[in-house]
Parts: sequence; C-alpha cells; structure tokens
Amino acid sequence: MHQFNRFAIAAAVAAAMSFVSLHAQQNAQPQNVPTPRTADGHPDLSGMWGGGFGGGGGVKPDEKGNLVQLTRGRPCSKQQFDLGNCAPGINFERDSGVTQRMGPEIPMYKPEFWEKVQDYDRNGTQYDPEFHCKPSGVPRMGAPSKIVQTPTELIFLYAQGNVFRVIPIDGRPHDPIKSQDTTWYGDAVGKWDGDTMVIDIVGFNDESWIEWPGWFHSNNMHVIEKLTRTGNTLKWEAIVEDPDVLMAPFHVEGRTLRLNLNAKATLTEDLPCEERDSQHMVTHERG
Amino acid sequence: MKKIFGLLAIVALSLAAKPAVAHHALQAEFDTAKRGEFTGTLTKFAMINPHVRWFFDEKKADGSVVKWEITGAGPQALRQNGMTRIFQVGQTLKVSFAPARDGSNTGRVVTFTFPDGRTITMYHEDPNNPNDL
Repeated sequence: MHQFNRFAIAAAVAAAMSFVSLHAQQNAQPQNVPTPRTADGHPDLSGMWGGGFGGGGGVKPDEKGNLVQLTRGRPCSKQQFDLGNCAPGINFERDSGVTQRMGPEIPMYKPEFWEKVQDYDRNGTQYDPEFHCKPSGVPRMGAPSKIVQTPTELIFLYAQGNVFRVIPIDGRPHDPIKSQDTTWYGDAVGKWDGDTMVIDIVGFNDESWIEWPGWFHSNNMHVIEKLTRTGNTLKWEAIVEDPDVLMAPFHVEGRTLRLNLNAKATLTEDLPCEERDSQHMVTHERG
Repeated sequence: MKKIFGLLAIVALSLAAKPAVAHHALQAEFDTAKRGEFTGTLTKFAMINPHVRWFFDEKKADGSVVKWEITGAGPQALRQNGMTRIFQVGQTLKVSFAPARDGSNTGRVVTFTFPDGRTITMYHEDPNNPNDL
C-alpha cells in the first residue's frame, strides 16, 4: 500500500506538472492555427519540435553567481513535506522505473525469449547500449528535434548525439543494398497517407533496444513511423513488427510535440559520450 | 466538469515529456542517503555524456594524494548560462558528494564551493533532503 501511495503521488505530480506546463504553453501559443502546407499540398513538417534536452533548462545563477541546477522536479511539494503527508522520494528513480514497466503497452515476446527478457530487465545497467555510448537507434530515439522538408526528402535532425536521418519521400522503394545492411537507423522510405507521413524502415541491427526497459529485437525488425502535423503540434508514433521475437506488433507510446516558435532557436552541439560507470554499478537493474 | 478535468489530465499525461537522455541508475552506483566531502585541486574537467566529470587531487596531511572522480548531471545549465569555463584546472574546490557504493573514490556531486564562496549545486532533486532521489 505504501508503495502504491508513492506511485500514485508520483503519477499525480507528473500529471499536475504536465498540466501546468501544457496550460502555460497553450496560453503562450495561438490556438486553432491552420496546418501549414507546401506547394504540393502536403502538410509542412518543417520546424524545431519539442523542448530542450538534458534538463536544467532555464536555470539562472543568482546575483552572486551561485547556481542551483536540479535535474528533476521533486516528487512532493514543500507544503506536502511540511505537513508530513508526503512519502519522501526514497528510490523515486527506481520506483518510477517500476511504474513504467507496468504500463499497458509492453512488447509480447515469444516464450523462447522469456528468460532473455528477464535477464535484460535485471541487468539493464550492464546491457543497455545507450549506457555504453551506442546510438539510441529507431524507434528508441523518438521524434526528431528538427525537420527540414523538401518535395523529395525529409531531413530529421536529433539534438541527442548530433544524429541525422535523410528519408526519401519521392515514391522510391527500399534500396536493395541498404535494406540488407544492419544499422541503428535502418533504411527508410516515406510516403503520404492523407495528411500523415508514413515511414517504412528495415535494415536494422539487433543491438539497439526498442525502449529503455531492455526491449530487444532481431535484425529483421520492421518499424513504421508516423508523423502527423496539426496546426503547431506534431504527433509522432511508431509500430514495431518483429516476427522473429515478438508475438504481435508493438505500438511505441506516441508523443505529441509543440512547434518551437522562437525564430532564433537552433540545435546545440551534443557532447561526445564516454562510458565510465558500469564498473561501479553495485546493482544492475535499471530504475 | 469532472469529465473535463479527467480529459485534461489524460491529455496532460499523454504530453508528459519522456527523459530525452538515458541516464545511469544513480542509486546503483551512489549512496544518495550519505554525504562525503573533500577539498581538492581540479586536474581535469571533462564535458562528456552521459554525465560531466570532474577529476581532483586531494592532498592529505601526510603528503599523499588521493585521486577523486566526481560525476554530475548534464551540463545544460552551465552551457546555457555561458558558465562552462568557470571550472578551471588548478582551482581548489570544496566538493560535497554522494559517495560510491563500491567504496571507490568516485562520487555524485551535490555542491562545489569555489574559493570566493560561490557555490554551484548540480543535483538530482532536493540537495537538502538526503532521502530525496
């Protein structure tokens, strides 16, 4: 029950924080903006999408130059602490990891992989390719930070890892050579389905994870990415098919991003990655 | 009204940002309920992912030198405020940190105190609440 309370509090705080943030942003942005379209009549996905990366955004030093950067909001308000009605955030990181594992959408693996599923769940800090400075790959990397659209190509730029993807949308089929390659981002081709851009991706390796809780895949994974712009919002979603290891297609939790209306906003160079933690991990599960 | 709020809550949840950068499970590496402290000379400041690193030499009274490797969160606040260069090799800083569980000379920074008294706190949540992680 105590655990449940903690989860409930964390979920409520997350919802409240999101609501406040959403409310503030809605006030700042004009509503009912028409979806911009290119000369060929398709929605224009071009723009900077979503917020900053890495946390700490907007933190300023005080007049003496002291800086306080806290990378995650506290699970309870000060008032809750003062009143003593907050379970303090002991193990908050691990607890939130457990709640995410309990989400309604998880990939269903074939029985012969169940031991591997458990092993990956228990030893995530040792196996996670991101922990070892490997790319996130598709679809774990999520939605792009910036999109440049031409009549024949979509160019996706990602703030994390300074990554780019170039996706032909001129109707060509998969490249017969590249689709046999084994890469982190695969061979992608896109086409319009009404106002939704549907991107078909094959040619993956089997090293990346579908998502952070150790959700592995084979090199026969097939991903369908969908992007839909409505006004100044962009909905990103992905479907993973992998008949080698999964019993059914898996729908990655979608995300809705807002257009960054700051005309001067630019992507910042991400820093190189160097793994120095694994040898000091006393427990191995992700949290 | 309840229905509307419920709908808004669902929308808010669906829009909740996911962590963009995978970070290591800090609890697996550091005992965040404890605090350590030393004063040392900065020998290297590494602007790297997934976490920034500071390397220190702590000179003991007997003349020996203890080497420390301190990790923090992402450097975004420093970068966004043009403060990346405030850490200079050769500086003597007081370091408050959450110590390593494996007993190694590594730690998760809580606060750096500069010789002029300026402090830079880079922590996960509430640095004053030892249970807050």
